[in-house]
Amino acid sequence: MKSPEIFDEALLYECYECARCTGSCPAAFAVEGFNPRNFLLTCLRLGLDAVVSDEKLWCCTTCHVCEDRCPQMLNVTDLLMALMNEAAKRGHIPDKVKAGTGMILHTGRVLLISKRVSEMREKFGLEPLPEIPVEEVEGILEKTGLAGLLG
Amino acid sequence: MRYALFLGCLIPVKYPGFESSTRAVAEALNIEFVDMQFSCCPAPTLVKLVHYPSWLALAARNLCLAEQAGLNILTLCNGCTNTLKEANLVLKKDPGLRKGVNEILKPWGKEFKGEIEVRHILDVLRDDVGLDAIRKQVKKRFSFRIACHYGCHFFRPPRIMYPDRLSPSKSLVPTQMEEILSAVGLTTIQYSRRLLCCGSALGTKVDLDAANEITREKLSHMTDKNAQVIAVGCPSCFEQFDRGQVLISRKHSRDHAMPVLFISQLLGLVLDVDRSKLGFDQHRIKVEPLLDG
Amino acid sequence: MAKRPKAGSHSRNRRKDASGEPLRIGVYVCHCGLNIDGSLDCEEVARFASTLNDVVLAKDSLYTCSNSGQEMIKADIREKGLNRVVVASCTPRLHEPTFRAACGEAGLNPYLFEMANIREHCSWVHLHDRKGATDKAKDLVKMAVARARLLEPQVETHVPITRKALVVGGGVAGIQASLDLAESGYQVYLVEKEASIGGRMAQIDKTFPTMDCSICILAPKMSEVGRHPNIELMTLSEVESVDGYIGNFRVRVRRRPRYVSKECTYCGDCAKGCPQHAPNEFDCGLSTRKAIYSPFAQAVPATYLIDMSLCLNKHGIVACDRCSQACQHKCIDFSQQEEFLDLEVGTIIVCTGSDVYDPSSLTELGYQRFPNVITSLEFERLINAGGPTAGHLIRPSDKKVPKTVAFLQCIGSRSKRSNPYCSNICCMNTIKDALLIREHWPDTKIYVFYIDIRAFGKGFEDLLQRARREGVIFIRGIPGEILQDDRTGNLKLIGENTLLSKLYQYDMDMAILSVGIEPRKDSAVVKRLLSLPSVADGFFMEAHPKLRPVDTPTGGIFLAGCAEGPKDIKDSVTQASAAASRANILMSKGKVTVEAITARINPDLCTGCGACSRVCPYGAILVDPEAKLAQVVEAACAGCGTCAPECKFGAIRMRHFSDEQILAQIDALAETGAKGKILAFCCNWCSYAGADFTGVSRMQYPTEVRIVRTMCSGRVDPAFVEYAFSKGIAAVLVSGCHPGDCHYINANLQTEKRIQRLWKKMARHGLDKERLQLAWISAAEGLKFSQEIQAMKEIVSGVTDEEIEKGIRAFSEKGQAA
Repeated sequence: MKSPEIFDEALLYECYECARCTGSCPAAFAVEGFNPRNFLLTCLRLGLDAVVSDEKLWCCTTCHVCEDRCPQMLNVTDLLMALMNEAAKRGHIPDKVKAGTGMILHTGRVLLISKRVSEMREKFGLEPLPEIPVEEVEGILEKTGLAGLLG
Repeated sequence: MRYALFLGCLIPVKYPGFESSTRAVAEALNIEFVDMQFSCCPAPTLVKLVHYPSWLALAARNLCLAEQAGLNILTLCNGCTNTLKEANLVLKKDPGLRKGVNEILKPWGKEFKGEIEVRHILDVLRDDVGLDAIRKQVKKRFSFRIACHYGCHFFRPPRIMYPDRLSPSKSLVPTQMEEILSAVGLTTIQYSRRLLCCGSALGTKVDLDAANEITREKLSHMTDKNAQVIAVGCPSCFEQFDRGQVLISRKHSRDHAMPVLFISQLLGLVLDVDRSKLGFDQHRIKVEPLLDG
Repeated sequence: MAKRPKAGSHSRNRRKDASGEPLRIGVYVCHCGLNIDGSLDCEEVARFASTLNDVVLAKDSLYTCSNSGQEMIKADIREKGLNRVVVASCTPRLHEPTFRAACGEAGLNPYLFEMANIREHCSWVHLHDRKGATDKAKDLVKMAVARARLLEPQVETHVPITRKALVVGGGVAGIQASLDLAESGYQVYLVEKEASIGGRMAQIDKTFPTMDCSICILAPKMSEVGRHPNIELMTLSEVESVDGYIGNFRVRVRRRPRYVSKECTYCGDCAKGCPQHAPNEFDCGLSTRKAIYSPFAQAVPATYLIDMSLCLNKHGIVACDRCSQACQHKCIDFSQQEEFLDLEVGTIIVCTGSDVYDPSSLTELGYQRFPNVITSLEFERLINAGGPTAGHLIRPSDKKVPKTVAFLQCIGSRSKRSNPYCSNICCMNTIKDALLIREHWPDTKIYVFYIDIRAFGKGFEDLLQRARREGVIFIRGIPGEILQDDRTGNLKLIGENTLLSKLYQYDMDMAILSVGIEPRKDSAVVKRLLSLPSVADGFFMEAHPKLRPVDTPTGGIFLAGCAEGPKDIKDSVTQASAAASRANILMSKGKVTVEAITARINPDLCTGCGACSRVCPYGAILVDPEAKLAQVVEAACAGCGTCAPECKFGAIRMRHFSDEQILAQIDALAETGAKGKILAFCCNWCSYAGADFTGVSRMQYPTEVRIVRTMCSGRVDPAFVEYAFSKGIAAVLVSGCHPGDCHYINANLQTEKRIQRLWKKMARHGLDKERLQLAWISAAEGLKFSQEIQAMKEIVSGVTDEEIEKGIRAFSEKGQAA
């Protein structure tokens, strides 16, 4: 399936650098070098390539505050997401993200249901969890292309 | 009231207390749950960032399961809520995307039709069950001061999560948690940066130390207002505050020790559900001192 | 039963006009520099024109509206004996009067002149399709020539203009306009909603860039208004209804009671004992007033008034008479009632001013949650010597002088979350405020958080430099959030300094939000009463943004001040004098010429049924039941043409917009390639102007459309649409003013009804209803017009030959038997 347009490139021109996004961003607060406004501007002026291999991109917590405060109502988070998608396509995925996504691909879950977990559930009086049809999940994600992407 | 219960990935494995307290509270409030073969929602902070179409297709599969049973989905995690609500909306609105996704799901006999809704437990409690019905079941009172943390994925972006409740400036300030907790006689407090992110997603993806800096900011404002308990509606936010306080206290001189309680656990307390079902053992910041004091 | 045009009455082979003279039509195709010739071939269009029947002369020229162009036309009329002139150039809304006058000077009746709009409706909107644009221009010329053949000479009548003016709104713009007109010798009615004139300027402390005391320079003007013999000042008054037309408006004004008589000496004894308190609106709620109060110290008229919603006396029962006991002149009168006054005026100037944006909705800034976050207007009142703190800058939470102050720019402006436009004055206002603070409290540090500083006017840049020199700190980057330390009331601003690409956290004692300007909240009422169009952001629209900046599209009504758009005092005053001058021009003439486009009823065909009279928005048709005849009152007829389609007997003829002329235009456009064309009926005031606006904005759309102008969408007879389909035209658009905004009050309601009926008829004939579109497009909705045409092109592309045939059969002469 073709990757849908998550953001409209034409909208990038609407940004007038007010910086309410970066000014409100928790990741910008915590990580030196993470700056949504700057990513947007760099993408616009210097092109996708100048941004896409920056591993700091992945620091976005997807909290969407930037979108909430943007006067031009730009979907900043979606833009960053699209950049990360492109980075992934080119093989730049942080280790933890790759591992987590791989788990979902092969097991349908982020965390495994181990024997210890099943025992704990019994202790709480909870029924065992329904089995996830792993072949179905894997099959779907193969069709969409995730399997190929992760290699 | 019947819902397809969406547990997500964290709760069944790490915090089954959230699940059992939810089930106990649901029983008291006449909510029925149906369990289904839901996979990971998938996480908006993992799959969506790597490959949007895969995220959409897997989310659609989960939605189809509930659709096939004709049930709305009740979620216990902000991330699941965000993924499922957004996928639901996007697929309902965009026939092109819908067609693409349905083609992928076809071999497994699934077709997205857009017939159900996704509701976070906070909304189910306030709007479907109603504050009056909950109030009638209250058996115990507690006087600790609660700082409510909604997290981000619960209500942002509002144009997707609550499109019919936008303010004149196209934004949204949530109040469900305070409303529910006040209705059952608990005390909630206001604090600065109440709607700031907990930082969890930064930690799980890249850098836990940086994530904890965000959490520390939140904690400082909560402590400033003498909060004694942090209320959350999401296991990721829970872990970020619970484990986070331990890690932060180790690194910095200031000691943060506010127990973090999931919404169902808080309700379980006031509805006098059996303590063994609430799962306080899994908490790193101990809850009991607060209750007995 | 729809009436049918007589066969052959609009055939293009007429060689003689109605008076029997052979037709000699001159066609002029204008290049308009490169404006037209840049996108279509004017020479070719002129050549084409010369091939048309009855055209004896066809030329192309560079600037036809210029002196030399006009002289050329006049010479041709005299020497070549032209008896019809067609100019293919810009919109008639711009130069029809110019060319009509030229024809008149050359001895040709001005109503024998026709224009083809090949600029706004052609060259400007088809910039990249030379062939398409040229073909369309040829069609438009053909249509214009077809109409020209059937034009008849008309005589205009004159209607006297009432030499009195109404000014709505008593801010500085209204005050200036009133004084200018009063000094010119006209009677002026100044109607102000509040208890005193003065508006926003009275609330401000100092003005930029001169740092004058605002009320000091305003008060003398206010005084002059109060005592001018030619100005009747009506405060606490609002316009209730407006009837009539240019030069002859009948206005009803509602005057609310003051409960205090004219004997009031403004001593203030009454207020001392009043037990009731309310927030003082003039001080933006930062102080209180009593139920009996004076708006502010320099109020004109200088009299007290009672806010009855607050007063303890209600429904005629006097429970508390402290004020009347205290009043030595016995001016208090609880029995006063509201009055209605009926005025007759010739011109109206709208100066209703502005409100400020309410930033409560931007919850991240803490306005109304944090006492030390205030708006710029509230700040004006704080530093104003007449304000709640006698001019001492103290912050609301603890009344201390702030040591650090932050101004946040663009709050409620330049934003899709509030108002998309720039509010013009906020940058300069902040710079002025910053300098005021520096002057009085030199120890206070001032920060201005901005995105762009707009210091465009005379003396503005100087003031900005002065602020920088005096140490005001400018930080580029609006705070994302404001936090409050509850214990101290101090604020923390967090954001990013974009010039350094670094996050900041500033501790501030106080934050002032530079809020944007919005149209007055009740401007919708004024808008409806005067049928004024407004642009998307709510400000009233001027007739032409460059050339007629204070006229409204409605004759006789003018605009001044912030009602037209955010602006400072200088520009408001300038506009006010301009509007007064425009009104003066009209009123000094003493008479206004009624355009010869009124309705005429043929007594031989009229049966006195009264159908026409029932739809006339002006009540301009009177029916004599005994004589079974309807008659048009010419002076009251506005020429909308809504009556004509209503008449089943074809007894009504619209002068200069007759059925035959319109059908001839349809014929001309259907002659070739009908099945690929869109016929669009556009009303002169809204939709045609909207289509012009599309052109002015250079928005592009497909070439398939041909516009036929009518004065009102109510003129459009369903028979015209049926005729168009019978000629094989693919699609028809009927477009008019928005319901409620009709220039002719409510004529477009008839349009709606007729089109609904026609859709049903089309369905009965098995025709695709999509081929007939109804759209409400205002003069400001250029984009909407282009989008409508795009959408219709999709429809045209999908219309099959079979469908076209069906339409031809259904609505041809034979098909009409059904």
